[in-house]
Amino acid sequence: MHHVLVDQWSQGASPMHARDPRAKVVALVAFLVVLATTAPDAFATLAIDAALLAAGILIARLPLSGVLLRAMGVLPFSLTFGLMSWMAGDRVRALGLVEKSYLSTVAVLLLIGTTPLPRLLSGLAALGTPRLLVLLAQFLYRYLFVISEQAQHLRLAALCRQGAGTKHRRSRFRAAAGALSVLFARSYYRAEGIHRAMLARAFAGRFAPLKPLRFRASDAVFALATISFFILVRVE
Amino acid sequence: MHIPDNFLSTPVWAALDVVAVSAVGLMVKRARRELDDSRIPLLGVMGAFVFAAQMINFPVGVGTSGHLVGGALLACTLGLAPAALIMTVIIAIQAFVFQDGGVLALGANVFNMAIAGVLAGYWPYRIWGAGRRRPAIFAGAVLSVMVSASLALGELLISGIKMPRPLILVSLALFAISALIEGAITVSVIQAIDKLNPSFVRRPDRANAPVLVTLGAVALILGMVGFLLASTTPDGIERLGLKLGLHSTVSFHAPLADYTVPLLDSAWLRRATGGLAGLVLIYAICAAAGRLIGRQRSA
Repeated sequence: MHHVLVDQWSQGASPMHARDPRAKVVALVAFLVVLATTAPDAFATLAIDAALLAAGILIARLPLSGVLLRAMGVLPFSLTFGLMSWMAGDRVRALGLVEKSYLSTVAVLLLIGTTPLPRLLSGLAALGTPRLLVLLAQFLYRYLFVISEQAQHLRLAALCRQGAGTKHRRSRFRAAAGALSVLFARSYYRAEGIHRAMLARAFAGRFAPLKPLRFRASDAVFALATISFFILVRVE
Repeated sequence: MHIPDNFLSTPVWAALDVVAVSAVGLMVKRARRELDDSRIPLLGVMGAFVFAAQMINFPVGVGTSGHLVGGALLACTLGLAPAALIMTVIIAIQAFVFQDGGVLALGANVFNMAIAGVLAGYWPYRIWGAGRRRPAIFAGAVLSVMVSASLALGELLISGIKMPRPLILVSLALFAISALIEGAITVSVIQAIDKLNPSFVRRPDRANAPVLVTLGAVALILGMVGFLLASTTPDGIERLGLKLGLHSTVSFHAPLADYTVPLLDSAWLRRATGGLAGLVLIYAICAAAGRLIGRQRSA
């Protein structure tokens, strides 16, 4: 599955992986803002931006083709809208939609491919995201695969029982609703069990990270260097 | 419906980022008031449930199937603020982990689906839910999809994206169909949940909260205005955008543009610094709101 692969990437070791998530988030946002304000036909600037991303991917020792392929997920959407703008005569915008949304997606992949989600979340928490949201995201991501697996089982079981060719759409619809309600109830009870288990392990309102975040001098240098480079490229 | 980056013009996404941050801040505060820590795992696991629910297909027509979106379902079972927060986190995870929707456009997507969508989904249930539960749930689910889709379409049009008029009408029709599907799915799932354990479905609390009703009404009106504008005068909405200085070729003319240092006479640099300054501003607002909320909590 897609996210499993990205999750594997994020477990790697490289100078990019070692940076503090806060530095990477700040650099990503700066990159996206600079990109958003770049004219779509400033090809030299965009080429440098693309080269920069490629360099980042190589430094992070991520598979270049893999990242570029994954980022194509945005293309169906941007190509559709690009085509419409092109036909409406707004070619500059059409280009911008396609190339800039693609570059943005690659940039986000570079962040998530070098930062495990728990670390990214603790970085976001350190940048001021409310604790409730961060906790919620941690639980969501932790149980995403568990609940998804249950959903797969329910789907498979339903298919086994009814066969593929049931004509009665109404009863199939009700069966799907029943499956979802069972999934809902199981998730609900699971959450109660999780909370009891957490209390038994003396949960005190927040997760203690195994490796606390440390914003080193190298992280500051990374953030400052990348941001000033983005702006320089933009001005030149 | 997840808008990627670089589709919205800078004023549009920046403004919606600010709106979304303050709205989510409010929701966090509300949720803190009504939840204790024991409910936090529940919200996270329910978020995973909404993700997983997309795997279960509902047959709706010849060879087509739909799946649950979930905003209205969560609002009717867990309450307004928790539902909005769960949807916010889902949208953020989709943007970061699945690259579905942009990071700068996160505010726009959160506003469309997690704030306006959930409010529109909860509003009918809150008002009529005690008496006529099924129609209220149905109306809520239909509205939530319709409002968030129309908002997204309106934002794209204001940003100057050109769409041929027939296509706008077709996409509105498609939105309407998927909204009806969401309504049907939500009603039948909630009925099934109710059969399993009636306590899962919240009674709509009768205590009046005028703020909530007003907010819902505003979201509804916004959605409907976007809908009407988009369906009748796509050119008109672009003119409106031009008039408001929102058109992307006008680019960033925030107040900050007038305060640039003379040294920064390059138009690009001005825009870049304007954008960055705007983001710093957003971050500052965010942090200040967080601190304020934290203080109120400890007080």
